[in-house]
Order: sequence, then C-alpha cells, then structure tokens
Amino acid sequence: MTDPSGPSDLPPLAVRKRDGLFIFGVTIVTVVCILAVIGPYIGPYDPTLTTPRVAYPPPGLFAIPGTLLGWINGTLEYPPHWMGTDASGYDIFSRVIAAPRTDLAIALAANALSLLLGVLLGLIAGYYRNWGTEFMMRVSDVMQSFPVFISAMVLVALAGRSTTNIVIALAFVYVPIYIRLTRAEVLSQKSRGFVEAARALGQPELTIALRHVLPNSMTPALIQSSVTIGFAILLTAGLSFVGAGVRPPTPEWGLMISTGANQIILGEWWPSVFPGIAISLTVFGFAVLGNALERRYEEGQ
Amino acid sequence: MTLLTVRNLQVTYRSETAVSRPVDGASFTINPREVVGLVGDAGAGKSTAALALLGLARAPGAITGGEVIFEGRDLLKLPEDDMRAIRGRDIGIIVQNPRAALNPLLRVGTQIGNAYKAHNQSTEAEARKQAVDMLRMVGINDPDRRVEAFAHELSGGMAQRALIAMALSSRPKLLIADEPTSGLDVTIQAQFLDEMWQTVQATGSAILLVTQELGVIANYCDRVLVLHDGRIVEDAPVRQFFESPRHPYSQDVLRLFRERGGEYPAQITGDRNFLKTDALTKHFPLRNSKKVVQAVDKVSLSIGRAEAVGLVGESGSGKTTVGRCLLRLVDATSGQITFDGTDITALLPADMRKIRSRMQIVFQDPYDSLNPRWTIEDLLAEPLRVHGTPDRATVRAKATAALKLVDLDPALLDRKPRGLGASTLQRVNIARALILDPEFVVLDEPTSVLAPRARNGLIALLAKLQKDLGISFLFISHDLTTVRYLCQRVAVMYLGQIVEEGTVEQVFSTPRHPYSAALLSAHLFPDPINRRVDHPVPAALQGEIPSPIDVPKGCYLASRCPHALEACRATAQTLTQLPDGRQVRCMRVVNGDI
Repeated sequence: MTDPSGPSDLPPLAVRKRDGLFIFGVTIVTVVCILAVIGPYIGPYDPTLTTPRVAYPPPGLFAIPGTLLGWINGTLEYPPHWMGTDASGYDIFSRVIAAPRTDLAIALAANALSLLLGVLLGLIAGYYRNWGTEFMMRVSDVMQSFPVFISAMVLVALAGRSTTNIVIALAFVYVPIYIRLTRAEVLSQKSRGFVEAARALGQPELTIALRHVLPNSMTPALIQSSVTIGFAILLTAGLSFVGAGVRPPTPEWGLMISTGANQIILGEWWPSVFPGIAISLTVFGFAVLGNALERRYEEGQ
Repeated sequence: MTLLTVRNLQVTYRSETAVSRPVDGASFTINPREVVGLVGDAGAGKSTAALALLGLARAPGAITGGEVIFEGRDLLKLPEDDMRAIRGRDIGIIVQNPRAALNPLLRVGTQIGNAYKAHNQSTEAEARKQAVDMLRMVGINDPDRRVEAFAHELSGGMAQRALIAMALSSRPKLLIADEPTSGLDVTIQAQFLDEMWQTVQATGSAILLVTQELGVIANYCDRVLVLHDGRIVEDAPVRQFFESPRHPYSQDVLRLFRERGGEYPAQITGDRNFLKTDALTKHFPLRNSKKVVQAVDKVSLSIGRAEAVGLVGESGSGKTTVGRCLLRLVDATSGQITFDGTDITALLPADMRKIRSRMQIVFQDPYDSLNPRWTIEDLLAEPLRVHGTPDRATVRAKATAALKLVDLDPALLDRKPRGLGASTLQRVNIARALILDPEFVVLDEPTSVLAPRARNGLIALLAKLQKDLGISFLFISHDLTTVRYLCQRVAVMYLGQIVEEGTVEQVFSTPRHPYSAALLSAHLFPDPINRRVDHPVPAALQGEIPSPIDVPKGCYLASRCPHALEACRATAQTLTQLPDGRQVRCMRVVNGDI
C-alpha cells in the first residue's frame, strides 16, 4: 500500500487525456507555433505581393468542392483564393497563415522579456523587503492601474513605430503582473524549512535566493506566460489596428482587420472576418492552455 | 456474552489501475463495557475498519466480505433502514476532526437534541434538557449557557467534548472513537480522555478506541487489537500486550518501551559548558505597536559535550525560538551564547559561517525542510559544498556513507524528496545535519509528524548516533516519553522562561515546579501498571496560558497555579538552585512550602 501521508505527485499527463478543452488548447497552440515557422512559405501566394484580382470574394460554400477538385487536377488558371482577396489584391489566406510569424514572434519576445524582468524584480521584491522594494511595488501598482492598451499605445507613439519598440512596450505593460505573481510566491517559499536549513548550513543569502527560492517560485509565472502570450497577440493586433503597430504590407492579423474594416460597409466582410477568427482562436487556445496548466499545478500542490 | 463479533471483515478500494484491501480478513470481538484499543500504522486501515463496523465505507471503497454481528444480527446484511436505526442509537461514533463534525449553522444544544430525538420519542424540551445533562456529564462548565453556543464559539477541546455528548446522548452500547485526541495539546488530551472514560463508565457503553499513541492505549484500554496488513495480528489484554507482545510488529512498536524499562540515561562527565546561554532573550516586535511578543525570556542553559538536553513545554512556550537563537537563525534581543568558549552572539557572518559546520539543526517538518526540486545527493552535498570544494567522487562517497549512517539505502541518492515517506525524509535530514561531523545538533521536534513505529526507530537511531559520535543534542519536544529515553538533562519551559531544570530522573520522578508537575501528570506514559484511570489524578491547571504580549508582573503561572499566593502574583520569580542540583523558578518550592 502507498504511504497516504506523502504529498501527491502532479497528475500525469495521461490523466488529462479526457480533458477536451486542454487538448483543444494544445492543438491550437501547436498549429500556431508551426505556422509561425513555415506559414509564410506554404501559402498559395506570397503574402507580401499583390495579385491582379482585387476584392475577390472567397468561394461560396457550395463552390468549395468544385474549386478543390479543380485545384487538385490543376485545371485552374491561378490558385484559388480560399479567403478571397482584399482591396489591394493581397491573398487573405496566405496572409492569415503567414501572420503568426509576426504576431507570435512579437508576443513571445515581449513575454520572454517581461517574464525575465518580472521574475527577477519579483524575487528581489519578495526576498528583500525594504523601502526600495516597497517603492517598486507601488510603481508597479500605478503601472497596472493604467489600461494595458492605452499604456502600450502611448509608449509606441513616444518611442516610434518599430517592432523592437512594440516588443518593449508590451513587455513593459506585462512586467507588473509577473512581479506580483513571483513576489507572492517568493514570500511563501522563503519562509519554508529548506530555506532556513540552508541558512543554518551557512549558505550565502544570494545563493539561497537563486538556488532555493527562485526555482520553487517560478511556476505561477511560467503558467501565466501562456495566458500572457495569448493576450500579447491580441494587443499586438490591437496596436496595428489603431495604426501604432507593424507597418503594412507585413502580414499581421490586426493590420488586416484594420484595412478590411473599411470594406465592410461595401459588403466585403472577408478581409477582416478571417483574421478576426484567427485571433480569437489563438487567444482562446493560449488562455485554455494556461488554465489547464494552472489547474494541474493547483492539484499538484 | 460478546457485544460485537467481527469475522473476516474485508474492505476493498478499487481504482482504475489498482485494487487494494486495507482491511482483509480482520476478526475480533468486543465485550460489553470494555474499552478496546485498535492500533496500527498510519494508513494501516484502522479508520476504515472502524467505519465498516457501521456498514460504511468511504468512496471508492466497499465492504466486500465478512460479517459484523451485533446483538445476534449481522449488520452487513441488515436493510438500510434498520441499519440507520442502529447507527447513533446503539453504536455511536466520534471522528477525528471535531470542528468539521459539528454543523456550523446549528447551536450545539440543538445538534445534541437532534441526535437524541432521532432515536428516542421526545419533546423539544426533553431533548434540550438531555443536551444540557450530556454537556454537564462530559465536563463542560456552565452547560445551560453552552447549549446555545455555535461550533466556532467552542475551543477545540470543548468541540470534541460536545461531540462525545452527542455520540453518547442515546447511551449507545458501543462507542467508536477514531483518534479523538489527534491535534490536541497534551494537557487537554488527558483531560478529554479522562472525561470520555468517566462518561462511558456512567453510561455503560463499550469503546473501540482507534489510536496510534501507546500512552493512550496503556492508560485507558482494557484490551488491545493490533491491525497490520489488514488483519488483527494481536489481540491481548493491555498488560500482557506491554509485557510480552507476540507478533513481531507489536514487538517493533513496543521496542522503545521495552528496551529501557525504568532506567534513566547515565549522566555525562566532563565539560558541562560546551554550549551555554546567559539570559538569552528574544522579543518579536509587533507591527504598529510598541509592544513585543516575549518569546524567550532570560533563558540560561548549558549543554555539556556529548550530552543530550531536553527542552520541553507546551506549544507556544518558546522552545523552538531558543533552538533557532542558538544557531543564530534569529538574532537574540539580548543575552549571550557561548559555543566551545567562543561568544557567537555577535559574530560576523564570515566567522559565523565557519562555526556553522560544527553546529546543525534538524527541523520538525521533514517535507518542508528539504528542497523538493533537489535530489537526495544534491541535498546531502550542499553542506559539503558550502564548507569546501569537494570533487564529485568525494561527494558521492560521503553522501553514501551518510545515508548508511542513518540506515537508509544508498540507492535513494538519485531520488527526489517527492514521494518519500516522512520517516525516510527525516533520516535524510539527520544525515544532512551529520555529514559535516558537527559537535552540536539542535533537534526541533524531529519525531512529531511520525507514526509511533517510525518514531521509535528514529529515537533509537538518535540515541545510537549520540552515543557513537559523541554529539551534544538539544532535543526540543513535547513528547516526554522520548525525552526520558534520549536525554540526560531536561529543562521545562513555560511562557518563554525555564521553570525547572535538572536531570531527567529528578524532573520526571519528582517534579518540583507546579507547572512541571502538571505537565508530567498530563502526559500519558505507556505504562499499563500505573494507569491514569486507576488512581486519582492530580488537579490539572486551571484556565488559559497568558498572552506572551502582556505577561504577568509576578510569577507567570500564578493565574493557573493551585499553590499561588498574593506574593506570587506580585513578585517576579527567579530560577534558584536547590540542594539536589536542580533549578526551580518558584519561591514557594525554594522556601520549602510545597
């Protein structure tokens, strides 16, 4: 018989097999990640070049089988525009699948930067409590009290519209979340027995902070990463939408929605709806994954 | 005639991957008015077996075989309605967690009344009267007022008594008590068990007392059942059980008790002041207040080379803080600590680090004191790496040796703490503390989370290590039985002060300070010859421990002490040496009044 007093291990992944939502999240995140690598090369058209066909609608629901057959048999004059083309003649499908390269790269970079900074500052704020770190926490409170989108927009407007600046702006607005999460965990971990045991051995404080407290305090921040990446994608798209993001003709979902929005009044819905669906699915996928990871972590506690 | 006969009881837990049978063919009997103890390791199926007597099993378990014959009827074959009538009326149960078992929304009196009404024709007024009577019977002061109380208004001990009152309200023929005192402080535990025992004598019920504590068994039970591997492996009258246990498992459980019957450890000779504190004081400041928590108050203690000194007292008496001050894990507010002739009270961090390899500590909670992400080898290597730069082979060799020293398999080196049992982890902690060959080790309640059998093993190991390696121990514990076994001298703490200090023999056989006397009389020594229930018990202390924030002006114990005079309340007491060498902080003892 097993020792019932022992702490339960994290439930193995197999247990989660039946968790449909988790599988859904993982699938979406995987697809988005793959597209970020190969997306720009697998589309039927170059995502940054226009075609002669302007504002072409996507094939109707009933025309899809015929188009597909014609495409496979090579009887079409040109590859089909699965999601139509926009007012400038760009193939929307090629751009939708090429966009993760931009969006995910920005989101990942922003998240990595804010994670690094946030965890480090959170560790300092939790481990050394003095007026300096208290001040830091108040500053991060103030930062958090501004709407994320406005802060990011202002930062990009001030610093200039470059990919690097977008990454820095996003990282900046997400740092306070990581500081707070890590600090809370550090506060609980640093009062644990093994920290005191290390102190009793004569281990220097810096070593204790980095080798004992830090590794045991990072899990909440890592889990938050999944959610943050999802929202960073949304924010990147949002910035492009208001014209503070990447420059055209870079394939980017927010930019596509923005250019397509003008056409909606003419009944041309496809240039913005398809990238819109892509964003929603992606953000949803990351959020679901984050949720599932968090639940697993809590069960493991 | 027997009251209850259990034959081949079997309870099965079925999960997707495994089938386990915590109870597998248990057979025993209980006679009317008999107090029967059921012992076994943690997780051995004691609670499962006890519940099964009521035809109950916690999901996903199920009773899969056997019979429970109570007054001629097999309870396991009874229809559910008849079974429900028996539960509570003929067989009562008290569970482990008293607060969880009381409904927080109902008044205590209402709950006891409901339990009574469920099995007896009665009016509201009669039920209430019954509730008051029951509360009085279990020793609750002012029962007329307490019946109106809600669960959260009762202390842990009182909630537990209210549960007994509820369980006994319809005078059941059998009371099942499942570890009723786990989590209570020793003084309350003894009081509670006394009251339960007396109440049951009055109602004429039999008790099945599920417990891990040998002290509880020895003092209250008539007969002992040992559950091991799902079966009853020993069924003996309590004296016979302690004198000549037959099953190897029982012998193992009783090892400590048997090995050192009445003897006390021999006193050391030589350097008596290897580690010494002088008026060690620790105050913790309170936030937004000028007041302080007076955790340790002018403690002067000396520990000789190769001597084991016990530090005992109830929770909150400041014993743990003393241990942490000695290792400079917290800095003392005032006072002095001398280690092997060096004053370490204000040593600079670099110099202190060198000393740290010579003094170590083992903490109470083994799960908490090992970094869960490190392997056992890394954990054992940490002290070596802090105090040197050993190569990998040296680390491996020393770690292996350290594990062998504490009787662990060196194969554990590559494991992580997760999934290992409490006693294994505590041995790893000890190995880690000993790997630098320290001269002094603080053991802060190292056995309090262990099951009795594991506790015996660990205490025997510590005694052996202390003897073989000649280490000085400060053994902090509230378990007087282990202190008596392991230590040469003992200091009793109350509210941050040492109230009595002397050899273990002096303090344990003739405690002089009223607090030591109360603490010892509350402790349940596993000795079935001098049972607590067979002779009158000296009066327990009245009232509550004063707050360490507003300590009394005079003697700290005065408000609870049966011998207190006006003078005790007015003048602070000093620790004074008596002619026999011990020290006592009580002017009435020093004056020879008591």
